[in-house]
Amino acid sequence: MPTSIDNPEIFENLRLELRRGCLSLAVLTQLRTERYGYTLRKALADDGLEIDESTLYPLLRRLETQGLLVSQWREEDKRNKRFYRLSPQGVEILGQLLSEWQKINSSLSKILQEA
Amino acid sequence: MTTSSTSSGRNAVNKPMELVDRYLQAVRFWLPNTHKQDDLIAELGEDLRSQIEDKEAELGHPLDAAGISEILKRCGMPMVVAGRLGPKRFLIGPTLYPVYAFVMKMVLLWILVPVFVFIIGPVNFANNGHDWGSAIGTTLGNLWAGLFIAGGIVTLVFVVLERTQAHVGGPMTCANWDPLKLPPVRKQARKTSLAQTVCELAFGVIGIMWLLLIPRYPVLILGPAAAFLKAAPLWHTVYVPILLLGLLGLLRAGIILARPQFTWFPPLGELVQGALTLILVNFLVHAAGQTPNGDWHPFVMVTDAARHSAQYVKAAAIVNVSIMLSLAGAWLGLSIALAINVWKLLRSFRKPSSSAGEPASLHA
Repeated sequence: MPTSIDNPEIFENLRLELRRGCLSLAVLTQLRTERYGYTLRKALADDGLEIDESTLYPLLRRLETQGLLVSQWREEDKRNKRFYRLSPQGVEILGQLLSEWQKINSSLSKILQEA
Repeated sequence: MTTSSTSSGRNAVNKPMELVDRYLQAVRFWLPNTHKQDDLIAELGEDLRSQIEDKEAELGHPLDAAGISEILKRCGMPMVVAGRLGPKRFLIGPTLYPVYAFVMKMVLLWILVPVFVFIIGPVNFANNGHDWGSAIGTTLGNLWAGLFIAGGIVTLVFVVLERTQAHVGGPMTCANWDPLKLPPVRKQARKTSLAQTVCELAFGVIGIMWLLLIPRYPVLILGPAAAFLKAAPLWHTVYVPILLLGLLGLLRAGIILARPQFTWFPPLGELVQGALTLILVNFLVHAAGQTPNGDWHPFVMVTDAARHSAQYVKAAAIVNVSIMLSLAGAWLGLSIALAINVWKLLRSFRKPSSSAGEPASLHA
């Protein structure tokens, strides 16, 4: 039977799957404070969650389309930057997501302790 | 001129920051031309410039082309980045795809191939002066083109369905499905012996090869009698239908092997094949009954060289009578088998679908 060591692709797919949901939560949480793309990536990376450009920007577009974020192009340091922050609906959804996250986290901790 | 080609295939860079513009231009090329394109490019450009600025601040000097190139390389190939940045696009989405695959399989395997084998092939055979080689070649050529055209049309129809459904909300929306409309649980697959079906297939293939060789080597059916007997013209008329019946048998065995869950198929297939064989035998018996010149040699004839030998003429007469009797026996046997198969099939349709172990209906 192939293990994840034999088949790193399996591990990579599962890792990405695990990360996908967490990234949305992390991005929404970071955007309680207004940020533009690069500073958001930096803030996430500083907290240990690296995210590349081609993953972050489509995610931001999706969250904005869903009405969870609002954005605005503004000049800062003589350059145009797009600033994002949570919309009122985003604040509400983030609250629900964080409570769901707490539940999952505590369940998982329990399961891991039992194992 | 700001750039020139070098021997290594790289373009010279006068200003290092120009590399970013080149990179963004390459990404833009692969992005769909929508109103979001400028937005995405501007945002990616801003990110890259911020990264360069940060790196320069860290190093304490401006980055050269190599340094910027390093950042761009880390960002990824323009085509890949554009693929990730752009909207997820597909011709046929996950909702319609299973239906698309099913329809494609039905059209190509269960409609197009049989139509070519049983209709277009024989027509080509007739049009090619009964030349097997060119008939098979023409049919395969037509089939190849037909597969592409049919596949293309099916795909096109589903692409249109995908687009229209995405906009107007078609019948495949999740809210529309009704569990009560699901088909009843399939009956346990009939235990058709695998060995029996495989044997049927193997012997079917051998039989077809044998049939194909007979016109060239009559000895394969007449044995040593081929020296003084030859097939009567009647066989030329029924040769292709016999061949097609053989192919139909192969197809039937193939379907039973590939789709054992089609429990309705084996009796229906047997019935259809039995009926077609009976029609053929009936035709042979009827045709053999006609004696246009008063000579009765419907199945085999004495060769021209042996025509004057009374012994060979007598042998031919015995063979003709034997074949006629065999056909009459076959006609009787096939008629009985057909009647039994019809009865079995009708009984299976009338039988209630519930079986042991199946839960009772929840509705009164």
